[in-house]
Amino acid sequence: MIRITGLCKNMQNTTLLRNVNLELESGKILGIIGPSGNGKTTLILSLSGLLPFDQGEITVGNKSISARESMVNSEALWEFRKKSGIVFQHLHLFPHLTVLGNIIEAPMQVNHKTKSEAEHEAIQLLEKLGITQHRNKYPEELSGGEQQRVAILRALAMNPEVLLLDEPTSALDPMRSGDVRNLLREFAHSGHTVVIVSHSIRFLKGIADYLAFMGKSELIEMNTTEKLMNYPYDPRTKEFLRHSELN
Amino acid sequence: MHSLTALSMPALRWGGDPSGGAPYVYADPANPQSYTGFDYEFAEALAREMNMTAEFVPTDWESIVASLQRKEFDVIIDGFEPTEDRAREVLFSKPYYLFRLQLSVKRTDKLIATLEDCKKHGRTVGTLVNCAASRLLDEGGYKAKAYQDPVAAYQDLEFGRVDAVLMDVAGEMFYARQNPKLKAVGKPFKTGAYIVGIRKEDSLLLAKVNTAIERLINNGTVERIFRKWQLWDEEQIKLRSTNQPVFEMTNTKLNWSEGLIKLLKAASVTVLLAFGAMMIAVTLGLPLAFGQSNGGPFTRAACTVYIEFFRGTPVLVQLLFLYFGLPVIGITLPGWLTAIVGLGLNYAAYESQIYRTAFKSVPDRQWQVAYSLGMRPLLAFRRIIFPQAFRIALPPMTNDFVALFKDTSTAFAIAVWELATAYRELANATQSYLGIGLVVCCYYLAMSLPLAHYAHKLEQKLQRKSTGILSSGEDK
Repeated sequence: MIRITGLCKNMQNTTLLRNVNLELESGKILGIIGPSGNGKTTLILSLSGLLPFDQGEITVGNKSISARESMVNSEALWEFRKKSGIVFQHLHLFPHLTVLGNIIEAPMQVNHKTKSEAEHEAIQLLEKLGITQHRNKYPEELSGGEQQRVAILRALAMNPEVLLLDEPTSALDPMRSGDVRNLLREFAHSGHTVVIVSHSIRFLKGIADYLAFMGKSELIEMNTTEKLMNYPYDPRTKEFLRHSELN
Repeated sequence: MHSLTALSMPALRWGGDPSGGAPYVYADPANPQSYTGFDYEFAEALAREMNMTAEFVPTDWESIVASLQRKEFDVIIDGFEPTEDRAREVLFSKPYYLFRLQLSVKRTDKLIATLEDCKKHGRTVGTLVNCAASRLLDEGGYKAKAYQDPVAAYQDLEFGRVDAVLMDVAGEMFYARQNPKLKAVGKPFKTGAYIVGIRKEDSLLLAKVNTAIERLINNGTVERIFRKWQLWDEEQIKLRSTNQPVFEMTNTKLNWSEGLIKLLKAASVTVLLAFGAMMIAVTLGLPLAFGQSNGGPFTRAACTVYIEFFRGTPVLVQLLFLYFGLPVIGITLPGWLTAIVGLGLNYAAYESQIYRTAFKSVPDRQWQVAYSLGMRPLLAFRRIIFPQAFRIALPPMTNDFVALFKDTSTAFAIAVWELATAYRELANATQSYLGIGLVVCCYYLAMSLPLAHYAHKLEQKLQRKSTGILSSGEDK
């Protein structure tokens, strides 16, 4: 479950987020669309607890942080960060660790799991995405698609309540492939939440339960995918959708 | 003003070492442009007696014989003693002064009255490199420490880094007699001679020098000079009475097996210095790097001052400062420890800059990913950031370590007996620069090559992890 109320974020006289309000129940996948440079990435970075914000409050599951708490590394913030896992656009795998190492590092170091326990769980995840054979390779030996799968599994291995994905389509076709979609859906249906930021509606159409449109640092409208696609309310959403179809 | 005749007279070019050279030959404190000293006055008198003009060529004591061979000057006049090994390379004139050795200790020392006491109580005796006293200590198996100049030796006696100093009476008179913290113990002993050294092929010059010396002794000029320097004693009568006065010739024949063991000991000191200093450097470099990039304004400024100070001043000067400066405020470290600390502090400045670059080149997102996985800063640093930065820092750090290995040779300035010092001493004592030099180079290579090899291996191992071949074909 995610709830965002009155979220504002400024940086050097530029408004990055203006009074964003959003609520999403568990078990759902939300797609955030909009032209680039309109606060989509800022929003999920705030959601992950990695980016301090100036006003408002964010709740993920049973943990909330205020603007004040988001600014200093407090105990509350560390706990809040554990609630979500994030997959960056450029993935940022740990280059000095193998595929398996990338996935088991946090479960072992943070959750103090034994190596065999962590490895056992990691291999179950790897099997779901069919990349078990790469487990002893280093990230740079993998293709972009394989790297993205590892980044997703690295986040899921910590069993977060929410999974955040930033522009996953830039790593291309793997997100279209069935097994990754199935994994995300399975993850959502087991009571979790997924938020995907993308400028590609075509990709989100097939996976997201809800769509939210962001323009000019504001969340302009949010609805079920079906309704937002077919009956957009705001003229800016209509404009964006028309543009996307042309492309 | 020189007269025309003086200008037309041939020059007697004589070599001596004016640094720490008092009272032999040294820069005149009253008139630093010119030199003074009993050897200076003697050389002037000698030249005059030979109808020549004296021309002083300042040189380095340790390599004085080599410089004579290279014809930088024609004679050595610098408290030069005849030894068996020098006899192979140099012609000796008649002696113009007979010296003896004097032992000094701290005024408060009640234990040591003779050189034998030093041996009995395991005390260390300081002396000059490659002189009669150092050879005597060497042959007698005393615990000895050789210095480049007498000031350092007596200063270390004051600081308690050595327990006694054995030196020519001339040096003792000038440097220690007036010092209220030191005292001379026992009578001067072991007569040696100062002679003029001349190239083997210049036997004609030798004859002329000998004739001149004889006349200077007989007409009282030598006595006048040495009386002026308060160095005339009853011993000097022997100069006049016999043609060949009795003095003992000290000997430094290189015993190769002993020499190799000495060098091996020196090499182990070099290893100790290099590893000790590097340990300090890599440890201290870390907080320096952090302070400079992440500290508050004060920490940042302090770190920058530290780094620029140690990078901007010569390590040799830093070592001298630590060795002779710190005792003034009551901190007296032994030479080897001073070298480790000094080199360590110096190299820490360089390591900090390597770390800084390395940490900067790890993307900020790596921190964010680690945080999002629930890692705290220390854990993220230890498990995620440091291993990546280390890989970047390793090659320049290896370079620094090899450079540090070579920089340990600066420790000779503070009388640490490491490999380069050992080379200078042994080679100068035996004039075997080539043979011992090759051995020393082999020692250095035996230490640095395995190091470079190991570092290269490690680099390769780490590199493999980040630049593997892209296996694009295996994508499902």
